[in-house]
Amino acid sequence: MKAAIIGAGLGGLLAGAKLSKSGYDVEIFERLPFIGGRFTNLDYKGFKLSTGALHMIPHGSRGPLAQMLREVGADVKIRDSNPMAVIMKDTGETIAFHDFRKGLSLTKRVKLGTILACSLKFKPKSNISFKDWILKYFDDDFLLKLADSFCGWALSLQAKDVPAREMLEIIDNMYRFKGSGVPVGGCGVVTGALADVIKSNGGRIHTLSCVEKIITDNNRAKGISANGKTIATDIVISDIGHLETSRMFECGDEVYLEKIKKVTPSKGIKMCLSSDEPLLGHSGVFFTPYAERINGINEVTNADPTLAPPAKHLIMSHQAVISDDLNQEINLGLLDLKKLFPGKKYEVLLIQSYSNGWPVNRASSGSDIGNRTPLCNLYVVGDGAKGKGGIEVEGVALGVRNAMKDIGV
Amino acid sequence: MKVNQNCVGCGQCVAYCPYDAIIVFGRAGMNEKCVECGVCVDYCPVCAIAEE
Ligand SMILES: Cc1cc2nc3c(=O)[nH]c(=O)nc-3n(C[C@H](O)[C@H](O)[C@H](O)COP(=O)(O)OP(=O)(O)OC[C@H]3O[C@@H](n4cnc5c(N)ncnc54)[C@H](O)[C@@H]3O)c2cc1C
Ligand code: SF4
Ligand code: SF4
Repeated sequence: MKAAIIGAGLGGLLAGAKLSKSGYDVEIFERLPFIGGRFTNLDYKGFKLSTGALHMIPHGSRGPLAQMLREVGADVKIRDSNPMAVIMKDTGETIAFHDFRKGLSLTKRVKLGTILACSLKFKPKSNISFKDWILKYFDDDFLLKLADSFCGWALSLQAKDVPAREMLEIIDNMYRFKGSGVPVGGCGVVTGALADVIKSNGGRIHTLSCVEKIITDNNRAKGISANGKTIATDIVISDIGHLETSRMFECGDEVYLEKIKKVTPSKGIKMCLSSDEPLLGHSGVFFTPYAERINGINEVTNADPTLAPPAKHLIMSHQAVISDDLNQEINLGLLDLKKLFPGKKYEVLLIQSYSNGWPVNRASSGSDIGNRTPLCNLYVVGDGAKGKGGIEVEGVALGVRNAMKDIGV
Repeated sequence: MKVNQNCVGCGQCVAYCPYDAIIVFGRAGMNEKCVECGVCVDYCPVCAIAEE
């Protein structure tokens, strides 16, 4: 059986590793000169920046991605963050993330416990947003700001744009799998290890290979065309989201086309900083609910010093994009950094923004529509088809797992 | 080199330009160091760079 895969991002590579391990003849086509998509290292001034990710695996060594890497035999070391995360309060002091309730009054603390326990069991069926869900029970500025900070960091969205249902699935997964970790060597080690697995299973990966078309026959994909050449295949896996995939064949399924119109990408800004002195001193997330724009910051060199030149630290901030004025958004982020680290010396290495065709997530969390397409043997994977409650690459892994189950491997 | 509306400002081209000729701030732009070598073109994930 032959599988053609469009895109060598994390989703395509995970699917390729799984399929090649199960005996499929895998061939991957990647448009860029390198593999890994938005989850690989970007060497710059001696630092290992990244093409997208903040070098973080949301549920660390215990999460769905780590589990899948072990399953396919990808050799990646993940260093779990300790503390997992801290929160900076309005007073400037920090509290551990799992102690966030300490930011609340005693009555609110008790109420939150009860409501959370109940809501995790019976998730809201309506489309109520996470923000409105909080407002329904609490009138509390700290909780609202923390929600925005968490959603901004983890999903590049504001709490008002995340369905409460999805957020509660995420909280469930946080209890189940625990906190984040950093892959030693950076996110590129993950995608690199997957490529090694695929090759050792006899699979092939072509770079500078752009897929233009999916060739169909009676609601089946029978081949693809890459760089003008036709390749026959039994199944097609697409790592480029539903919308772009649908443009590659004549799709007459109006219901599907309407559905994918509602899938919106999320936008974000990452700022990469260098500093001689550590600005945070740990590798967990530093949530900044009281900053104007920045949602959170990490300092990955505390987990893996090789991500920066000797005696340097790599610090990355992330913020969701709130207004249409990208320049202003960046400037507000830069101002936040100044206020967060007064008197500290750091250099801004690179400011990277993401939207539209190269977003933070192809399907913003809560808007995923599964892996299936109108063609019975064409599946979409990646962050345009994440699994329920999966933050970023964990969602990619859960989505790939669902697709593989569907295929029967 | 010309950068079109597709540019999202991801900075990928900045890291791959051998001549340190690209500045990014929400969008990429080339400075006078650009020698029109064309290396950056392939590295843009949204095909935003083309020769003038
Ligand atoms: C700023 C930022 C920070 C992030 N931080 C984190 C983080 O710390 N932790 C985390 O878990 N996630 C993070 N993410 C999200 C994570 O990077 C993505 O969810 C993940 O990389 C998506 O992988 P993918 O395989 O779905 O897509 P992609 O990586 O986009 O892969 C798709 C591939 O398909 C290729 N392609 C496109 N069109 C074609 C074509 N026609 N023919 C052939 N190939 C094609 C593309 O070039 C690309 O390589 C972050 C994202 C951003 C932008
Ligand atoms: S053409 Fe060459 S020198 Fe000019 S910006 Fe692109 S990579 Fe740099
Ligand atoms: S690589 Fe492309 S999208 Fe990214 S900054 Fe450069 S021109 Fe813009």
